[in-house]
Parts: sequence; C-alpha cells; structure tokens
Amino acid sequence: MNKIYINPLPVRIWHWTNAAGFLLLIASGLQIRYLDLFQWVPFRTAVVAHNWIGFVLIGNFFVWLSFYLFSDKIKVYHPELNPMKYFQASFRQMRFYGYGVFKGDPNPHHASAYRKFNALQSMAYQIIMMLIVPLQFFTGVLLWDVARFSSMVEMFGGVRVVDTVHVVFFIFFTGFIFIHPYLASLSEKPWAHFKSMITGYEEVEDRRAHDASP
Amino acid sequence: MNSTWIVGRLSPAATDKKLILACTLTLFLFIPGITAHAEEDGLSTETKACLKCHDKEGQEKTLENNEKLSLHVSTKAFMESMHKKTDCEDCHSGIDAKKHGKEKASIKSKREFTLGLKESCRDCHKKNFKTYEDGLHAALVKEGNDKAPLCSDCHNSHTLRSVKILEPIATTPCAKCHEDIFKAYSKDVHGLERVAKGKAAPICADCHKTHDIKAASFGDGVKDACLSCHKNADMEHKDWLPNAARHFEAISCPVCHAPTSQRRVNLRLYDGLAKRQLSEKTGVPQFEKRTGAADTNNAGLDERALWSLLKEFNQDSGGGNTLLRGRLEVRSGIEAHQISEKSKAIKDCKICHQKGAEPFQSVTLTIAGPDGMPLRHGVQKDVLNSLQSMESVRGFYAIGSTRIKLLDTVLVLVVLAGIGGPLAHMTIKWLFRKARQRREAEQFATIDRAGSPAPNAARHTGDDA
Repeated sequence: MNKIYINPLPVRIWHWTNAAGFLLLIASGLQIRYLDLFQWVPFRTAVVAHNWIGFVLIGNFFVWLSFYLFSDKIKVYHPELNPMKYFQASFRQMRFYGYGVFKGDPNPHHASAYRKFNALQSMAYQIIMMLIVPLQFFTGVLLWDVARFSSMVEMFGGVRVVDTVHVVFFIFFTGFIFIHPYLASLSEKPWAHFKSMITGYEEVEDRRAHDASP
Repeated sequence: MNSTWIVGRLSPAATDKKLILACTLTLFLFIPGITAHAEEDGLSTETKACLKCHDKEGQEKTLENNEKLSLHVSTKAFMESMHKKTDCEDCHSGIDAKKHGKEKASIKSKREFTLGLKESCRDCHKKNFKTYEDGLHAALVKEGNDKAPLCSDCHNSHTLRSVKILEPIATTPCAKCHEDIFKAYSKDVHGLERVAKGKAAPICADCHKTHDIKAASFGDGVKDACLSCHKNADMEHKDWLPNAARHFEAISCPVCHAPTSQRRVNLRLYDGLAKRQLSEKTGVPQFEKRTGAADTNNAGLDERALWSLLKEFNQDSGGGNTLLRGRLEVRSGIEAHQISEKSKAIKDCKICHQKGAEPFQSVTLTIAGPDGMPLRHGVQKDVLNSLQSMESVRGFYAIGSTRIKLLDTVLVLVVLAGIGGPLAHMTIKWLFRKARQRREAEQFATIDRAGSPAPNAARHTGDDA
C-alpha cells in the first residue's frame, strides 16, 4: 500500500464548506417550501439564511474554480474524448456497481492524483459543476431579488419557470446528498474516501503508486 | 372752526399740498369700503335679477318624470362659492330671458337637465373636462349609465368652494354613490385621521384622483398614491421583508394593511408588447363569450381552458404576447378601505407562504371592459399548483402556497430512492457476503499454493463518491 496526495487543501476546504452549505440550503429550502408541514425556524429566518448561505457557496464555487483553473489538477476533470473508450469505461464501472461489487470484483478504476474520478464520476461532475451548480446559483440569485432582475426573469420565462428550475435542481441535490456518501463508502475500507477528503491522502495499491507522481 | 384755524395758518402753496394729501388719505380710507361694496355688487344686473327670484327656499319644479328639481340658489352661498364671478347666463345659456318664468319649460328629468348643462363646464374647465372624459365616470356616461356622475353630480355649481377649504368628510361627493366604501373609509385609519388632522390625511380624491378616475384594480395608480405620502415605505419594507420590491409589484397594499380583509389572486390579462392591461374591444365582447364557452359549468376555468383562452387572445393580436400578470388583492372595494394602523398590518409570512393559504383560495381572471371597468371570470384555484399552467401563469408565483404539486411527489420519490437505493444495494451486498468470503478464501488458497498474489487479489478501491 502507498499513500498518494489526492485531495489538495483548497479542494478539501471547498468540499466540506460545500457539503455543510448544501445541507443547510436543503434544510432551509425545505422549510421555505413546506411551512405547512413543519416549522423549525420562522419563514423569514429560513429565507434570509438561505440567501446568505447561497452567497457563501457562490463564493466557495469560485474558490473551487480558481484552484482548478490555475493549477494542473484540472486534469482530473479532463473528459475522455474517445467515445468508445469512454463508453467501455462507463459500462465497466456500472457493471462493477451493479454486479461486481457484490461478488468482490476489484474496482475497474485505479485512482491517482491526476485521475481520481472514474468514467461515470468524470462525466457526472463535469455536468454538476459546470452546468447544474452554476444554474442553481444563477436561479437562486434571480429569486433572491426578483424585481431587480425582472428583465432577466422575464427572459427565462417568468418567475414560476425560474423557481421550478431551482426546485428541480434542489430535488436533484437532495437525492445527491443521500447517494454521494453511500458511493463514497464503497471502497475496500468504508471510511477511506472520507479520510482522504480530510487528510488529503489516500492509500492505494503499490502497483498504482507510480501513477501518483505527476 | 378748527379746520379754518388750521387752513388760516398755512401758506397757499402749503395749503394746496396739504389738501392733496388730505384728499388722498380720505380716498385711501374709503377704498376698503368701496371695494367691499363692489364685491357685494359684483353680481351683474342679470344675475341679481335671477337671484331675486331664485333665492327663495323651497322653490322647486316638478319634472316630466315627477322628480322635483330644486330651483333655490342661495345668494349667500353663491357669493362664497368659486363661481361668484360667473354670471348665471354663462352656464344657463339656453334660457330665454323674455320667456323665462312666463312659459313653462319642459324638462324630462333631473338627469336630462344635468346632461344639458355638462357642456357649459367645458367652456371654462377645458383641462379637467378632458381628464374627466378620459376617465371611468365619463366612459360609463357614454355607455348610457344614468347613474354615472356628471360634473354637477359631484360639484354643486352654486355652492362649490375652493378645494383648499377643509370640508367635513361626509360632504365628499363620492359618498353619494360609493356609500358602503365611504362608510368603511370613515372608520379606517385614513378616515379617522382626516377627521382628527384634516388635510394631513387623504380623502377619496387624494388616492383616486378627481377627474382621471380609473378602476382601482388596474394599473398601479392607487399604489403610487400610497407611496406618494408614505415615501419611506419602500425602505421600511426592505428593512425586514425579503424580496420587498417584488412584494410591492405583486401585492396591493390593503392585502397586508387591511388585516381583516379576504384576499384573492387577480390574474390580469396583459398585452406584453404594448405593455398595458388588455382591454375588451368596444362592440366585440370576446371575453365573456370565450370564458363562458370554456367554462360551461361555471366551475371556474381550469388549466387547459386558461391556456386555450390565452391562445385565442394571442391569435386576435396576430400572434401577440398576451400574458397573465398575477396580483394579490383584497376581494372588494370595501375591504380596500379598511386600512388599519401600521402596527396591526400583517407581518406573518405564514398568511401567504404555505399550502392552502387563504389568499390563494380565490382566483379570478380579469380584463378591462370597454368602459375601463374590470370584467371577471372565476379560475379554479388548483391552476396555481399545476405543472400544466406553467406557461399560463408563468409570471405569478408565491413560495409554498402556489408550489407545483407534481414536484412534491418527485421530491418524495427522490428521497425514497436516495434512502432505498443504498439500502437495497447494501442488502444485496450483505446477501452476497458468503460468496465474497468463499471467493476470498479461494484466492488466499491460490496465493498459498502459488506463493504469489492472484491476479484478482486487488480489492475494489478508488473514488466512488
């Protein structure tokens, strides 16, 4: 076994800030939308908190973006441009999650500092980080002050449309919050990925150690 | 004798000067008297002649419809009125002095008499008359509504005084027709303040204008009137109300400031290209015809009917941009005039922002009639919670209360999948545990036999998050 530095400090700060922020946004979002079902905090407090946390996470997003734009670690997000290779890798990964993992097959993806995402993650995170998250922040800002951004709200089809997009992504992230930790626990040691997101280091098999060096 | 003594002691030149001075002083002393006399006598001979007969209380004429028309004009009240310098003939130009009072004039009704006098107001009050003609009252008159007010229904030409003079609130002419609304006003914060503080508080005309009357449920005229006095309202609301500007756009002031009122959603048909309230064309009553056809049971328009209706109105304007502008408002004019003290205004978000909230239990679709009066048709309240009406009511949304039901179901399913998926996966993994153990044991046995690791010895690792 060898240790590789897989999660640099800015990524870890971004990740945990994001995690806490998303949990709070989901909680306050639920409170705002379902005031008739429960009241953890007053509606207004939930709205104000939701707005502030949203702005913190927008700032946090730019921490993440800046880190990857100005470091060579951006390679972890580089897509596989060969469709056949990408499809095969994705299929292998799906088969592993849906079947191989039960039998005790090895994970087809071998993590390294520059290839920490498997084929499915690579595609999913590109869509999430470059499309869904920015859209969620964007719609959130429009809803924060509808009158100020009225022309833009109108351009996107009206406040109901903007809100529906925001809620659809809210539902997506609510599901993500359940699935993400579970998938993270599907390593040989269930806490290994959680630890690596705290310490930055991950233990990998010796035969992969050479991949770790840039 | 004294004056002779004074004159005798002066030189001739000095005497002349003093005489001029004395005459001038005398003239000045008499001028106020002369002026007062002129005011009293400011009435022309003809007017005086009129008042000589008409300043007798109880004088009246029975009209053809048996209405009694008072012929009494009080000279005192007329002299105090804004028309004191106007001769009777200026307005009553159709009277033939030679025949007047000698031959019986035929007048059908009070209304006909007032209508006949209307044009004479225009001669002097051109600007106000034009404004009146563009307003709702004149439109109703044109429609033939015999209750719609003409100039003299609000302004008694023989007694009207300057608007600068504070009159008792009960004398406001609006109260004659809008009695219930006036009663509500007189008990609300503005009415009470008007009595207590005079012109510091508004009366009807201050908010609804005097001549350019429009239906209060259209446009932002009344809201602008509120903000013209409550200048800090914008900032005061921003201090505590999230999205304050949006609340100002989509909610009429009485919704929160008349806390006892019942509320509703008013979906106003709006021309997005012309940027104005959509109006029914004169002589082409499409709105009632179309809403009636789309809602034969009169149960209120549903999502599909609303969408079809918008489509039809869009076709009318050659593929225009007819849309619905939703607004929360109180259900009646009476409730709009039950404004309470600021401290009693609604500040509890729950009133609106939860499922089943009272303001969203009544929904109405509105178009401006040809006369400017709103034409309404009921809309089913579920329209506000339906995905199907996303297009129709895209510009109206209130968090919680108008949320789309389908998304609630999707959320529940996603949460169930988010919990159930990993649980099912874990269960299958647990069921396969013996197979994995057997395989692991075989692999270790292979290692032991071969003395080297088996190809499959590497366990599943890597980022799975």
